[in-house]
Amino acid sequence: MAQPFMKKDDDDEEADYSPFLGIEKGAVLQEARVFNDPQLDPRRCSQVITKLLYLLNQGETFTKTEATEVFFAVTKLFQSRDIGLRRMVYLMIKEISPSADEVIIVTSSLMKDMNSKTDMYRANAIRVLCRITDGTLLTQIERYLKQAIVDKNPVVASAALVSGIHLLQTNPEIVKRWSNEVQEAVQSRAALVQFHALAVLHQIRQNDRLAVSKLVTSLTRGSVRSPLAQCLLIRYTSQVIHESAGNSQTGERPFFDYLESCLRHKAEMVILEAARAITELNGVTSRELTPAITVLQLFLSSSKPVLRFAAVRTLNKVAMTHPMAVTNCNIDMESLISDQNRSIATLAITTLLKTGNESSVDRLMKQITNFMSDIADEFKIVVVEAIRSLCLKFPLKYRSLMNFLSNILREEGGFEYKKAIIDSIVILIRDIPEAKESGLLHLCEFIEDCEFTYLSTQILHFLGIEGPKTSDPSKYIRYIYNRVHLENATVRASAVSTLAKFGAMVESLKPRIFVLLRRCLFDSDDEVRDRATLYLNTLGCDDSEVETSASTNEFLFGSLEVPLANLETSLKNYEPSDESFDINSVPKEIKSQPLAEKKAPGKKPTAGLAAPPSGPATTVDAYERLLSSIAEFSSFGKLFKSSAPVELTEAGTEYAVNVVKHIFDSHVLFQYNCTNTIPEVLLENVAVIVDSSDAEEFSEVASKPLRSLPYDSPGQTFVAFEKPDGVPAVGKFSNMLKFIVKEVDLPTGEAEEDGVEDEYQLEDLEVVAADYMLKVGVSNFRNAWESMGADFERVDEYGLGSRESLTEAMNAVIDLLGMQPCEGTEVVPSNSRSHSCLLSGVYIGNVKVLVRLSFGIDGQRDVAMKLAVRSEDESVSDAIHEIVASG
Amino acid sequence: MLLAVLFANSEGNILVERFNGVPAEERLHWRSFLVKLGAENLKGAKNEELLVACHKSVYIVYTVLGDVSIYVVGKDEYDELALSEVIFVITSAVKDVCGKPPTERVFLDKYGKICLCLDEIVWKGYLENTDKERIKRLIRLKPPVDF
Repeated sequence: MAQPFMKKDDDDEEADYSPFLGIEKGAVLQEARVFNDPQLDPRRCSQVITKLLYLLNQGETFTKTEATEVFFAVTKLFQSRDIGLRRMVYLMIKEISPSADEVIIVTSSLMKDMNSKTDMYRANAIRVLCRITDGTLLTQIERYLKQAIVDKNPVVASAALVSGIHLLQTNPEIVKRWSNEVQEAVQSRAALVQFHALAVLHQIRQNDRLAVSKLVTSLTRGSVRSPLAQCLLIRYTSQVIHESAGNSQTGERPFFDYLESCLRHKAEMVILEAARAITELNGVTSRELTPAITVLQLFLSSSKPVLRFAAVRTLNKVAMTHPMAVTNCNIDMESLISDQNRSIATLAITTLLKTGNESSVDRLMKQITNFMSDIADEFKIVVVEAIRSLCLKFPLKYRSLMNFLSNILREEGGFEYKKAIIDSIVILIRDIPEAKESGLLHLCEFIEDCEFTYLSTQILHFLGIEGPKTSDPSKYIRYIYNRVHLENATVRASAVSTLAKFGAMVESLKPRIFVLLRRCLFDSDDEVRDRATLYLNTLGCDDSEVETSASTNEFLFGSLEVPLANLETSLKNYEPSDESFDINSVPKEIKSQPLAEKKAPGKKPTAGLAAPPSGPATTVDAYERLLSSIAEFSSFGKLFKSSAPVELTEAGTEYAVNVVKHIFDSHVLFQYNCTNTIPEVLLENVAVIVDSSDAEEFSEVASKPLRSLPYDSPGQTFVAFEKPDGVPAVGKFSNMLKFIVKEVDLPTGEAEEDGVEDEYQLEDLEVVAADYMLKVGVSNFRNAWESMGADFERVDEYGLGSRESLTEAMNAVIDLLGMQPCEGTEVVPSNSRSHSCLLSGVYIGNVKVLVRLSFGIDGQRDVAMKLAVRSEDESVSDAIHEIVASG
Repeated sequence: MLLAVLFANSEGNILVERFNGVPAEERLHWRSFLVKLGAENLKGAKNEELLVACHKSVYIVYTVLGDVSIYVVGKDEYDELALSEVIFVITSAVKDVCGKPPTERVFLDKYGKICLCLDEIVWKGYLENTDKERIKRLIRLKPPVDF
């Protein structure tokens, strides 16, 4: 007896061996031949199917021939009456998903099963047919599917309904015809059928607001059985609330009572869903939030991790808009910092960072320091980003937060994590002038021992821009020059450029920098040597007393006049020939520009900054260079402002045109960015004909048509107007695109010689007062306001009439003035009846303007506003009032 | 949409992998991401203790059952709460089929049945059945008892 026992022990490892050990696709396909046996062995066939499933589930794929072979063999198994095998066959057919021309082989068998007396055959046949079928077959079986939806067996009904969800994507018009049956199924007593039917019905009607609203109204009154269906209903309800928000006059929110009652549901899933829906309501009030926050707080100490996660994730979102509402939960959240589940801990930390006040920062940082050591990089990145926003919120706390960042920078971590820390330090340096010197030194220390070439070069570039402007630039030289000795060629070359920047910008350092640069002439890498030679020669090493000229600086350190991505594409397309590459042929249009601008709101340079943002040139710089390179417009003087692109065509039209308004002192220039989206045509002599009869103060002075506009290669055409000098003239312009169309022979890409003149109506364009205002923030509004003085202060009161909310009224005024909201005052706390907002900007003529807006709203939603303006020029203060009065 | 259901053994080898609506080229990335997530967090976890994470806009709920770790990934309506429901159905069905929290060997022995269970639970990215008793009957083509 002992022996076999011993043996088992010995073979313990063997016992764990997989029954699929050494499984091989070819062999299994051979085995599948048993499906063709005249005498089927169901057990053996099931085993082979299991092996095939195992292969497929491991990510193995069958070639077309293999799949066809298996499929044909499997269809033979319909002959067997073995129930277990039949169930496997259904699954196998779904897994192989035969091609359209093969499906026909099984349709008759499946149709037979679909009409079978055995319910389970019906349910499975429906699922398989719907999975493999195409539209034509679907119309044939539609009748059976409709019957199945209202079948008294819930499994059959569910099978048909879930099939409906999938078919909606491929054949929506057919499924939409099942509306009545689905409606009936929604009333089913079987919980799952109701859940599936509700999902289908909503998808069928999702574009019909009224129908969705009716559906929600009837169901919220009735009884929904399964918690899953209840969750769906809550989602649909909040969608209805969201869409009807604008219509409610009384201030009562429709369906709110329903949502609130769901907070007392017995299923946790429903409670959380309802709480989440309430917190996401538009303009939710504190009264509405309170019950939701209370249940979420209870879930924070739940024993189930998923509930804790769901609660803290919701609270994290609430903290972004209503930080005060969440502060009650802070104690519970602090205990979550030690949660086993690091996702929960990270969410708790980031929520606390959002809701914490200035006094709790230090305590919080202490807790986080312990926490950081045992979480993964991706969580650390989230924390670093939260700390960055916290620091921007409480600039006075920069010292402890910067220390924290520099400490974690020294610890182990991957590239993304280090990059997030570096990015944060760079942003803090830019936005908090006091943090600059310590931040730069942290960066210097980091590059002394940095394994990432990319980060080293980025930091060196940044040092080159910021370092020379500090009180003692010389202290950074040592760190930079060390790179020339210790690093790879890429970093060495970067260090040479940075040294040269110090030399060019700090006269006193120049001779010493030259000594260092000369040493680089003997580097082993040609790029490093080339750079050193270039800088030594252009910066004037022969006569170190000569001040570096502006043009040399521009040549060496200015950025290219074309977007790098465009240059790269042009270079790739360039075929070596006698004609050398011409940089002027590179398109200057920045394709992804509107997107890039949307991505970085609120990262605008602030007036408190000593330096403009570095790195990629700002859009204004890019425009300025572009415009000054065009002779017709070079006499317009300094560019004051360029607007964000305004779309003049709808998305998806044959020609896409947007316009950028460039404002100069006595000119306004429209830059029309045109894209031809039709491969078969080439446009030539493209110009925009502008009718300025509704803009009296403007007169057209120049235009620059575009010679040719090939497919998908954006180009620009310009129209310039003169206006009275320094006057913020406004007006409306209508635009017509005119061009010659030539057909293109696609294979050769050659255009026909003769073209046809054509035109294309564009949307109208307006120049408004806000176009004459630059959004420039100040870091300390109060100081700026006091130092501006009350000499040119103008105060007046305005009635803004009935408004939807304070936020809406305030945003209208902000948009009208085009100024930068400061210190987060653009957020109106929920439910408040009055609010003050601080704005700052620079008006045309480079006049600084500060504005204090105070709003009050009464029971009838009438909004009153007090506007106080201070500026450096009396007439500008008046002009601001005029803008508001006439807006 | 329920993007993925994945079973792995204790060494991180894939036992079952079913994706829905995930492009083929992203699957490998997901597989290694999930396995790494499990390796970092599932050590010492109790049977059926749920762990949860989110990655971009996608939610992941995962757990360990015997020698097998189970991951479900979802987005939109399949958030952490819905996923915990899904994983609960999956774990109870697997336990039912295997009779206990399975060793890898037992899991593989019952492989075909487990595939059938999954087929009843998830229909191309949508939750279909939630009751283990019913699933147990359905995989044998028996109608549910409560009907």
